[in-house]
Amino acid sequence: MALSSDSSVGRDAREKITIQNVSRSYESTQALDDVSFSVPEGEFCCVVGPSGCGKTTLLRAIAGLDDPDGGSILVGGDPVTGPGLDRGMVFQEYALFPWRTVRGNIRFGLDRPACDCPDCEGRVRELIDLVGLDGFEDAYPKELSGGMKQRVGIARALAPDPEIILMDEPFGSVDARTRDRLHAELLDIWTQTGQTVVFVTHDIDEAVTLADRVVVMDADPGTVQSTFSIDLERPRERTSRDFVDHVARIRDALGSPVDTSH
Amino acid sequence: MSTQTDTSSNALRAETFEGNLQRYLRGLGGLVVFLLVWWVGAMTTQPSYLVPGPLESVYAFIELFATSTTIVAPVLGSSLVLPTGLAHLAQTLFHYVPGLLLGAGCGIGLGLAMGWNGVLDDWLRPLVRVLRPIPPLAWIVFAIVWFGIHHTGAAFIVFVGAFWINFYGAYGGVEGVSTDLTDAASTLGVERDLSMLKLVALPSAAPQVLTGFRTSIGRCWMIVVGAELFGAPGVGYEIINASNNLAMATSVAYMFLISLAFLCMDVGFRLLERRVLAWR
Repeated sequence: MALSSDSSVGRDAREKITIQNVSRSYESTQALDDVSFSVPEGEFCCVVGPSGCGKTTLLRAIAGLDDPDGGSILVGGDPVTGPGLDRGMVFQEYALFPWRTVRGNIRFGLDRPACDCPDCEGRVRELIDLVGLDGFEDAYPKELSGGMKQRVGIARALAPDPEIILMDEPFGSVDARTRDRLHAELLDIWTQTGQTVVFVTHDIDEAVTLADRVVVMDADPGTVQSTFSIDLERPRERTSRDFVDHVARIRDALGSPVDTSH
Repeated sequence: MSTQTDTSSNALRAETFEGNLQRYLRGLGGLVVFLLVWWVGAMTTQPSYLVPGPLESVYAFIELFATSTTIVAPVLGSSLVLPTGLAHLAQTLFHYVPGLLLGAGCGIGLGLAMGWNGVLDDWLRPLVRVLRPIPPLAWIVFAIVWFGIHHTGAAFIVFVGAFWINFYGAYGGVEGVSTDLTDAASTLGVERDLSMLKLVALPSAAPQVLTGFRTSIGRCWMIVVGAELFGAPGVGYEIINASNNLAMATSVAYMFLISLAFLCMDVGFRLLERRVLAWR
């Protein structure tokens, strides 16, 4: 009793997500091996690493979609036991409900009994506005481009007003120009909402563009290799000396045998 | 963005209009050739009842609507006077429709349940494997001893046919629900299994469920005629009845009638399907 209260006092009160000695293995691979780090409230944290380093597994574990074999994940001090509306997730392949319109998709998380919004329709309109999809309210996902689909994905995750947004390579399937725009928009939204973001990517440029802090992971077994603080002013200029330096340092950390550019 | 879509869809429409016209003309050509072959065949075959000619068959078809017949509606027990063709079609529908709807309902229900619930799936899968290959018409012996070969018996056969097609439609549909979608729903607050089924699995499986149902509409017409050849009242019975009197043209007329009835149902259901699945 005394011990456990001691340990919670010892922890930084502003820690939003605490990952403690998390391990997870599949048949032959050790996807996560004793992974520990924490994300302070309001931080934009990017997790980078080669494919197979368990970054997606880690994200899914935070979301409560995957049950680690060992260790624990605390969100706001409470252990994660399953998915919850306090954590919104944005998926790599959008995972939009194809039978629902843009409005219907964004509305999905507001219709749950656990969520009581006073003006759901108003909230949906606000979000459509926020992600710049005015005029597409009644379109079905099949009618949208990849970038637009992911805007819906982001709005849908934001709808229940989660404290944490988990993003799994959300812009991996959109073209480079759209990705740049989405980066700017995402940072805008994040500045407005002040949510804690965990963003998984294998693209170092993307991580340095977005993150307050970059967690670098190694593959097989999946471990945290190092973390980097990115204290550059936003918006960040990719050609600036500091930016290039940060990218180079992270690339070095990842090691040359692993090709992380694509 | 929107203008781009508009022009491309217009171009597509123009293209398909021309394509359609060509297809229609070719289809018409095929029909004309078939009618000619039929006509010549009928002219040259003796005795003439072996192959009734096209004109003869059309007359027989018209005849079906020139005379009237009294039938008894099941359950209600009231008599109906209808043009002969419609009367026998109605008799068929009296067992076709309940058999189809009940069979589809039960098949979809069990398919959803088994596709969704692994334990139930484990329990029933071997049983399904054994029962599924039995042709619906093989059940006719039980239809006869349990219900007698009348409306209920024929409806039972149709039920069996509709059941399996719809079962597999629903089963495959629910089994194929992407885990990405169920994961997304979980993070958006769907907790109960039943809510997941209703909000994600069902709409996601809808295309396959509807395809299953549409297939069963056609399959059940084949089955229902089969059941009627054993004596249940309806168009199938009339086909064999007419041929017993060597009125083969009347048999052909009833065959037309079945084809027409199926076509109407199929087109109607396709329209409904297109509307329900506008998102696809």
